[in-house]
Amino acid sequence: MIIDNITHGPPVTIIVDGELLSARAGQTIAAALYASGRRVFRHTRIEGKPRGLYCGMGVCFDCIVKVDGETTRACMRNVEQGMQVTLPVRFEAARSRP
Amino acid sequence: MSFERDAELVVVGAGPGGLSAALAAAETGVRAIVIDEYAQPGGQFYKQLSAGFTVRDRARLGYDYTKGDALLARVRAAGVELLSDTLVWASFAPGTLGIRHRSAIGTIRFRAAVVACGAYERAAAFPGWDLPGVMTPGASQTLVKTQRVLPGARMVLAGSGPFLMPVAATLIEAGARVVGIYEATRPSEWARHAPRFIGHWGRMGEAVRYWRTIRKARIPIRFGYVVVRAEGTEALERVVLMRCDRDGGVIASTERFEDADTLCASYGFVPSVQVTRALGCDHVYDAGRGGWIPVHDECMRTSIPGVYIAGEVAGIGGAHAAMAEGRLAGLNAARELGKRVAESAIEDARRERARHRTFAKIVSDIFSIKPRVRELITDDTVVCRCEEVHAREIRAAALAWGANVNFVKGITRCGMGYCQGRICGPLVEDMTAAALGVSAGSVDSFHVRAPIKPLTVRELASMSQADR
Repeated sequence: MIIDNITHGPPVTIIVDGELLSARAGQTIAAALYASGRRVFRHTRIEGKPRGLYCGMGVCFDCIVKVDGETTRACMRNVEQGMQVTLPVRFEAARSRP
Repeated sequence: MSFERDAELVVVGAGPGGLSAALAAAETGVRAIVIDEYAQPGGQFYKQLSAGFTVRDRARLGYDYTKGDALLARVRAAGVELLSDTLVWASFAPGTLGIRHRSAIGTIRFRAAVVACGAYERAAAFPGWDLPGVMTPGASQTLVKTQRVLPGARMVLAGSGPFLMPVAATLIEAGARVVGIYEATRPSEWARHAPRFIGHWGRMGEAVRYWRTIRKARIPIRFGYVVVRAEGTEALERVVLMRCDRDGGVIASTERFEDADTLCASYGFVPSVQVTRALGCDHVYDAGRGGWIPVHDECMRTSIPGVYIAGEVAGIGGAHAAMAEGRLAGLNAARELGKRVAESAIEDARRERARHRTFAKIVSDIFSIKPRVRELITDDTVVCRCEEVHAREIRAAALAWGANVNFVKGITRCGMGYCQGRICGPLVEDMTAAALGVSAGSVDSFHVRAPIKPLTVRELASMSQADR
């Protein structure tokens, strides 16, 4: 967190893969994950490769996570109290693809 | 439940270009609506702080915020309606845009439109560019400017173009540890363009300010380097860079290694043309303007009646050109809508646009992507990040079927994922043209199909029977 001139919004708690994560109202999910030191947002469905924030402006869809079951860009969606975030993992059935 | 709206003028994009267009039109009496995908207006240039944050002293935030505040205040005072959280996903009939506002699907019918969707960064692709911690310079700037979060503890900036400078300055001022800036061009390559900068002192002054911030922080800037590899297991740990020649070909045994958790790299920008394509506008390839752009005239009119463009969509030119073009597009649209518009106002905007476009041309002549950086994309490198398609598959398909990138797309699935080819499109066009030995722009571009941004089935199902 930086710069004294700004006051962040009130604390909110989100649930990331079942674990509680403190964030601040007004933060995007991506910023909340980064602020907690988490840079790996998901693993790709075919090769299981780690991915995180890339374009940061809603274009690349690399930071997609599941929010309350729906695929969402972590860089575009603000945190809300009690929000359930699931980080996608490799889709096992995709293994057979050459 | 879906909704319908009628607009005299709809402006797509609330950045400097779109806001200027709406303001210019509104001041002549046009009822304008600006729609924008983000939660806050301002676009990428006038990035606003998240609405959840409070600021004690706005004046201390810096130039971009206060300038953005001033423009937004004028736009609101002129009676322009700002509709944030609103994206365009289709245009099924002339004079209409299919939109999503929050999660509600709707239609806007317009008499005139100004498309000012801006641009996004041209990907720098190399082995490891998909590792977490590797991001665009813009992504790191957004984290700092809108979220007040530092992207990492040890950062490297690389790629090419003047945008690296303000990003570096933003990061430094926020207290980030930038361990090195690597620019692909060399000052010796700029030298012959030096006389062309005469008269553009304001813009040069901006560059000097950023340069001073970087020098004061004693951050080394190295010229003539490209990133050849990003290494790490679960996330970035080390960046490998090499010296390159004028064409971007690497020079053997010149490796430099930087331990870093964050690498920000890009090669300039690509115009966002999905909305103009959805509207059916003709497009033309212009490498100096960033690639495919809508065909347009001096009035910013496209090939579709009533549809105008402004800013980066019309070719990469920066925020100043965008604002001049916004005014030009807004005024000409107002005139088409029957409002009285002073010829002198149009003439002023036209002159200002010409000046900023001249400057943009110098910048693009100097910093255009070096062709041989494509050789850094090894066969094992992922090119389409969404569908996980590697360079090997793309090159093979290009050789077999490559007269048109849509064949390559059809065979390999590149460009068929969530981002719909926005990131890999320019790479696949370049790799395909190179494989065939033909010029960029001669292999077509990925077709754009609705929905141009992903929607959920639930959202689509919410459309009323009449919409379908």
